[in-house]
Amino acid sequence: MNLKIIICGTGGQGVIFLTRLLAQAAIALDRHVMVSETHGMSQRGGSVISHLKIGGNQAPLIQVGTADILFATEADEAVRNLPQLRRGGTVFANAENGLRSEVSSEVERMDFQIECIDAGKIAFELGVPAIANVVLAGFSASFDVSPFSYDLLRETVDRTAKRDHALNLQAFKAGFDFGKKEQVFSG
Amino acid sequence: MERNVDLVLGNEAIGLALVEQESRIVTGYPGTPSSEILASVNKYKVWLDRQVYTEWSTNEKVAFEVALAAAWTGVRAAVSMKQVGLNVAADPLFSAAYTGVKGGFLLISADDPGPYSSQTEQDSRLIALAAKVPVLDPSTPLEAYQMVAEGFLLSEKYGLPIMLRPTTRLCHALQSMALERKMKGASQTQRVRFKKDPARWSATPKYRHLLHKELNAKLIELALEFTTSSMNSVLHPDSSDKVGIIASGVAALTAVQALDQMNVNVPVLKLGTPFPLPARLVREFLDRVEMAVVIEEPDACIELQISDRNKVKGKLDGTVPSAGELTPEIVFSVLSRVFTQAGLSVPESPEDEELTAFVKALPLPARKPRLCPGCGHRSAFFAMKRTFGPQAIYPGDIGCYTLGTNLRAVDTLVDMGASISMAHGFFQTNRVLGNKQPVIATIGDSTFLHSGIPPLINAVHTGARFVLVILDNHTTAMTGFQPTAANDMLADGSDAAHRVSLAELARACGAKFVVETDPYENKTFSEVLKKAYEHSQSDEGGVAVVIANRPCVLYDPEPLRENPLPVIITEECDGCRYCLEAFECPALVLSSDRSRVDVNHAVCVDCGQCIDACYKGFIVPELSDLRTDIMSKEKIEV
Repeated sequence: MNLKIIICGTGGQGVIFLTRLLAQAAIALDRHVMVSETHGMSQRGGSVISHLKIGGNQAPLIQVGTADILFATEADEAVRNLPQLRRGGTVFANAENGLRSEVSSEVERMDFQIECIDAGKIAFELGVPAIANVVLAGFSASFDVSPFSYDLLRETVDRTAKRDHALNLQAFKAGFDFGKKEQVFSG
Repeated sequence: MERNVDLVLGNEAIGLALVEQESRIVTGYPGTPSSEILASVNKYKVWLDRQVYTEWSTNEKVAFEVALAAAWTGVRAAVSMKQVGLNVAADPLFSAAYTGVKGGFLLISADDPGPYSSQTEQDSRLIALAAKVPVLDPSTPLEAYQMVAEGFLLSEKYGLPIMLRPTTRLCHALQSMALERKMKGASQTQRVRFKKDPARWSATPKYRHLLHKELNAKLIELALEFTTSSMNSVLHPDSSDKVGIIASGVAALTAVQALDQMNVNVPVLKLGTPFPLPARLVREFLDRVEMAVVIEEPDACIELQISDRNKVKGKLDGTVPSAGELTPEIVFSVLSRVFTQAGLSVPESPEDEELTAFVKALPLPARKPRLCPGCGHRSAFFAMKRTFGPQAIYPGDIGCYTLGTNLRAVDTLVDMGASISMAHGFFQTNRVLGNKQPVIATIGDSTFLHSGIPPLINAVHTGARFVLVILDNHTTAMTGFQPTAANDMLADGSDAAHRVSLAELARACGAKFVVETDPYENKTFSEVLKKAYEHSQSDEGGVAVVIANRPCVLYDPEPLRENPLPVIITEECDGCRYCLEAFECPALVLSSDRSRVDVNHAVCVDCGQCIDACYKGFIVPELSDLRTDIMSKEKIEV
């Protein structure tokens, strides 16, 4: 299956690392990958967006309204990029209080699946606030809709995380566990 | 031979190919989106154990000429830059097209449709067309990788410099590629020497005329060769003959993506060689379709060279937008319109316009780029604004510190080095008009070395009176921390550099007032600014140079780690937002009830520079014993 994934946030939140993590996982599945990254001026705190295509057309950018999954390291950037998603697409967002309530009617109309986690808090408790992106990756792996299994993504974190290696694995597991627990509670 | 699949950045693919193709000298000047090319050469030359000399030259013209000498000697060489850097290197480019080269010579000029990190979105292919230099225009990292090899072969066959023209989306695309570790062969030990040839290498105008004729003949031959080149191909050759697409670069794939999305099949002539145009190939393609639309960016280059315009639509007739990036949405809508006119049925855009409009109407925070927490530029700008006020003119320059415009401490922006010549121009204009107005220019260390020296000499020589602040953060920060000539480090990370002193340079340019000081020392720095201005206005005065010496916090966080100054915001904070607007540090944020300002400790680097940004004294050091000490020493009258 071909997949289109958008990864967004603001400069300095690890959007590029998260993108490369997902791309490496796709390569491990023997898929052809094309990614578009944001460099330069925007990295100084501006909105940052990566496009990740697994299989299919090799143009670097995903057309608005066709992405399958949206990863967001920040709640308002998730909302800003909702139009990127196709009808029925999925959002995995680091959002303390979920997405702003105004969007709920549109989310329902477009049949989006929205999954939020306070990854910032979990990362802070682990002592590395910057690791929220890896918590978010772990969280996504706990859902059936994720193209990447727990084992595959964990193995990719294991292979690609250079700094704070053990903490990255811990963060990944914490995100996954949180997601699993959520799903049990919500039945 | 090791072989594994990895993610390769477009710029890395180019760097890898430059090493594999036995470049002996690769030079460049950093500039987004081209900066990672030279860094990749350094990475892969170690991986493949090759001898490649690399340097970050002081500017693009210098970089071009250094690499050119290698190609004139007879070895392969390359130079990388961004599109506006090509303007700086245009002089040697035009000349080198005439003289030609002996060893393969690749000029890599990265364009920035959008633009995302540039002052213009000019098209390097048009500069190449004017200079009569052939261009290769890749669509993917893999194509760019292959075109490096093709480019060197063509360069050697025709004795011409060849331009490789990637764009931002290619430079910063990551593609999964199978990498083979091709270890060093014997060919690098070839014995080559520069051979004198006055009619070519030092040709006078009489010979230049002959060289020009020779160049024109080469281009005719090349256009013929491109007609059958594998870099040009027709996709969907057997599809509908109503409309065809002629496209190049990333935009060609964006067009194909739109066709996939529409489920429409039309022939696409994908051109990897926009100049010289393989005219016969284009003519044959046009013969079989009723109409063709040209999709290319940022400007019309292929379209410009098609002489029979009866069937052709594109930028010149307004069918395709002439400014901005050709995003998937724009290409979809352009093709949709063209196809509908031609009687083909196309589906609606996948974009849900209701959702787009809904999101657009939400009060989402605008996220403009800002200087980093702890950035010394912010302290320097804040002191400048406080010392000289809003009535002064602040000519600015290219780098991170362009963001001083947010702080209203950058009023003008032209190109590299222009802050100094513009400051001079404003001074002379004011003198003519009889206006009295302080002029305070800022320029970074790397930009000063790049093209700040001739305008400084010019200003000193002609008696200009203004203050020049050189923001020395010890690196080329915006583009990824490349060393400058004022560093101890060379491009490959070795410490063999002969360091150039910015202060000595400024003095050698004739400046009589040159003071180096740390913008973190708020009081001293402001006093130096005042003295500099006094000097510039005194009878014996002229241009006064202040070197604001504070390393970039991302490049060298050590000084800050050694002397942290954590702050708290007192209960008295009334949320007046002065600090947010005048100081604009990402670590100072409005509380959720918007009643006061808080410190965002996730991004704060404990520089303590904001203490001065609250004129009411509500931002104070966290440690109380430091508080009285610093407040009494550092407090400055506003």
